[in-house]
Amino acid sequence: MKEMEIQFQLNGCDVCVDVPSDTLLVDLLRDTLGLKGTKTGCREGECGACTVLLDDIPVNSCILPAFKVEGRSVTTIEGLTKDDGRLDPIQEAFIQEGAVQCGFCTPGMIMNAKALLGKDPHPEEGKIREAISGVQCRCTGYQKIVQAVKSAGQKMDSTR
Amino acid sequence: MSTKTHDHKQIKTLTKDKPDLQGLIKTSQMSPSVVGKSIVRTDALSKVTGKLAFGADYSQEGFLHGKILRSPYPHAVIKSIDIEKAKNLSGVAAVLTAEDVPGRNGFGAIIPDQPVICGDKVRFVGDGVALVAAETEKIANQALELIKVEYDLLPPVFDPIEALKEDAPKVHEKGNLLSYNKLRKGDAEKGFAQADVIIERTYKVPFLDHAYLEPDICMAIPQVDGTMLVEGPMQAPFTVRRNINAVLGVPINRVQARQISMGGGFGGKEDSPIDLGCRAAVLAHHTRRPVRIALEREEVTLQTCKRHPMTMKIKIGAKKDGSLVAFEGVIYDEQGAYASLGPVIPPAGGSHIHAMIMMSGPYEIPNVKIDAYLCFTNNPYGGAMRGFGAPQVHVAHEQIIDELAEALGTTPFDIRRRNGLREGSATATGQVLDQSVGLHDTLESCAKAFDWEKKYQDTGYVNEEKTKRRGVGIGMGWYRTSIGTNNDACGANVYVHEDGTVLLSTGITEMGQGSFTVLPQICAEELGVRVEDVRVARPDTDAVPESGPTVGSRSTTLMGNAIILAARQVKKSILEMAAEMLMVPLTRLESRDRRIYDRDNPDTVLEFREAAARCMANGKRLIGQGWWAPPAPSLDPETGQGNPYFVYTYSTHMAEVNVDMETGEVEVTDYVAAFDVGKAINPKALEGQIEGGVAMGLGYALTEEVAIENGYIQNLSLRDYLIPTSLDVPDIKPIILEVENKFGPYGAKGIGEMPNLPATPAILNAIANACGGRVRDLPADPEKVYWAIKEAEIPLD
Repeated sequence: MKEMEIQFQLNGCDVCVDVPSDTLLVDLLRDTLGLKGTKTGCREGECGACTVLLDDIPVNSCILPAFKVEGRSVTTIEGLTKDDGRLDPIQEAFIQEGAVQCGFCTPGMIMNAKALLGKDPHPEEGKIREAISGVQCRCTGYQKIVQAVKSAGQKMDSTR
Repeated sequence: MSTKTHDHKQIKTLTKDKPDLQGLIKTSQMSPSVVGKSIVRTDALSKVTGKLAFGADYSQEGFLHGKILRSPYPHAVIKSIDIEKAKNLSGVAAVLTAEDVPGRNGFGAIIPDQPVICGDKVRFVGDGVALVAAETEKIANQALELIKVEYDLLPPVFDPIEALKEDAPKVHEKGNLLSYNKLRKGDAEKGFAQADVIIERTYKVPFLDHAYLEPDICMAIPQVDGTMLVEGPMQAPFTVRRNINAVLGVPINRVQARQISMGGGFGGKEDSPIDLGCRAAVLAHHTRRPVRIALEREEVTLQTCKRHPMTMKIKIGAKKDGSLVAFEGVIYDEQGAYASLGPVIPPAGGSHIHAMIMMSGPYEIPNVKIDAYLCFTNNPYGGAMRGFGAPQVHVAHEQIIDELAEALGTTPFDIRRRNGLREGSATATGQVLDQSVGLHDTLESCAKAFDWEKKYQDTGYVNEEKTKRRGVGIGMGWYRTSIGTNNDACGANVYVHEDGTVLLSTGITEMGQGSFTVLPQICAEELGVRVEDVRVARPDTDAVPESGPTVGSRSTTLMGNAIILAARQVKKSILEMAAEMLMVPLTRLESRDRRIYDRDNPDTVLEFREAAARCMANGKRLIGQGWWAPPAPSLDPETGQGNPYFVYTYSTHMAEVNVDMETGEVEVTDYVAAFDVGKAINPKALEGQIEGGVAMGLGYALTEEVAIENGYIQNLSLRDYLIPTSLDVPDIKPIILEVENKFGPYGAKGIGEMPNLPATPAILNAIANACGGRVRDLPADPEKVYWAIKEAEIPLD
């Protein structure tokens, strides 16, 4: 397979990599760049564990060809934690509200929440449920995840 | 025929025989400082940052990639296998067939009847006929395509009732009836003679997939001393080890099974790590190199165990006043191709046995007769899934009790209030419940929070167009803590270090349910330290005591007690040292929040760590080892009478639904779930179990089914196998009640499996209440609901 060069911004840093042209974004992130926080549960864009932000829009990285990110900006779960270890308010809320069980869907859930709260810090519950509906969770029943997104929005607002 | 009787005396005897069971609950008069608090999960930080490594995140450097060639037929004789071409492919390290298995060519949680590599015949689509290890996954997949297998097709059987017929194709040599058990309480015939109303119904539930988000993975890494190290997400590392040692033909101490982080299990990762572990180990044994087998999603669905499908026939009778007098049931439990965890494990373990014991529900019925058949077929195999045998029968008993109420002219609430188990009630097995029976508390408090009385009156059309109708339903349930076998002990090591911090080693695994938070809470409480002072060691068969599997809602209760016993040994040592140091009598000392003090004079105080350091310096015990097994279970094989489990958790759920009368679509709009849990060690974690369990029960009711046609699964992917999303699950209001379990740590009993059991029938009953039609063959998808409405032809206002 022909190699191709891809330049993009990853978690705020410029990245330039050569990869086979059929590489999927999730494999570029996990295997080539070593960012294992993004998970794969189905590899067909169904479970949403692989969600990352592409220019602030959530995408399933397991079905997105890597070359599609050329010249664009990608944010993964690793990009949410500040360099000094400070957490994003969404991560903090997931911990406090008990929104984490096995943790496999958690990065995908948090990235969807990030995209939502970036647009609308005070979403109605229905909006939250819609925003995370592309990520499957078998453990929590979603309730504490919804609550965590709500409380993260409130917290982001109060620190704004 | 045995004439053994089981009465109140027997359970008293159990208590008396086990003096060490007493006094486990409270160590001081003070209220607990760590137990009962919603402490943040110990693993939450690593999970929200994406730093926690699951199996797929481990380095693959130096690993070969293992793949399994699977049978394309449900039932066939293997005529020949040609592996030459595959072997010669560049990058292939090994291609193995049945003769290459060094030891026993069979694995299984209970009976090792599933070949590691099939040699003579295949029994389901997905059976392994050859194994490949190669430098890359791509090469391994190419090699699979180069293996040529010739089969002679055999007639298959796909239905458990068909499988019992004399001329049915035999899945295994011994025949298709894997286990049969019966339960006889009182005299069912006489009971029915007293009944004013008798109804008969049949309920069916399909195969279900666990659909844990993390696909299965296993790594086998040969060690220089000849030991085989096997790592993976596994609920039962000791069962994995027990299988691999036999398959490799080596002693048990030459296998080390190490649990790594698990992305959900729900019972499924009790079986599958045995399968993957044996196969990866055989490949690693032959190549002398590390081998990883990572399944794709479709392979997970194809290869791993499922929740047992059941056909359940029931006849139930009641008097005019609503009291139940007789129950008769037949269970056809489909085991599929291999025995796995299904068969009887004396006295009271096994899928159909659990189903049989619980089939008549949490009700006191004087006359009960049940026959339970567990049958092989050429479908995928049944294993444990959150409630092993119990979710199925809850679907049946909770629906028939509603249908009976209707026939009697009473309400779903009143029939349950009249017949529900209370303290002093005898269960279907004749077990007299002498403690911790909070069923009625859950019924009453659930009704209050849900506003049942009002909602039950307020059903009917909800829109002007008269297309949608509202209904409400109740699901009541009960579930055991423990597995009902004689191998149910838990062991724990508690190691206090010289700085007062603690290493807690147990074989109980963390799969998301929160054991690595709840168990340290119990440990910290007992020692008198903070929960952050306790680190949990990874379950590793080389390093932790045998704890049995992480199943059966047993971890918190059984392991909690083992931890308390272990911690007490160390605490005794530390308090003796503190008594010397403080010059205070031992009996006056209290250990709490990292400090040891004189109860009568709280200013006389010592840091916990100072006493620990002095113990270390003086060679005084700092390691404790505790073992705890529940009171011995009993079940007479002839009568099905006895005390199969030592305590039960009880629950009542109430659901409100809207049913679209034109499309059959169902929306769950309100939900309350009440539980008697004995004691909530960590209320927030407990709520998480409840909410997740209800969601799973909702999927069982409305959408989930492994659709199999002639042995071929039609919905291998998560696109076609529909688990509930955030848009399907309503707000769930959990209610936690605490009716103390005298055998439990701080009074606790199990909760892991319970929440999904009453959820399914609560929703099914609400659907029937809304639209008049009842779905008795799950799932109640829009099509089935639509036809149920049509068939019911009930005039609706």
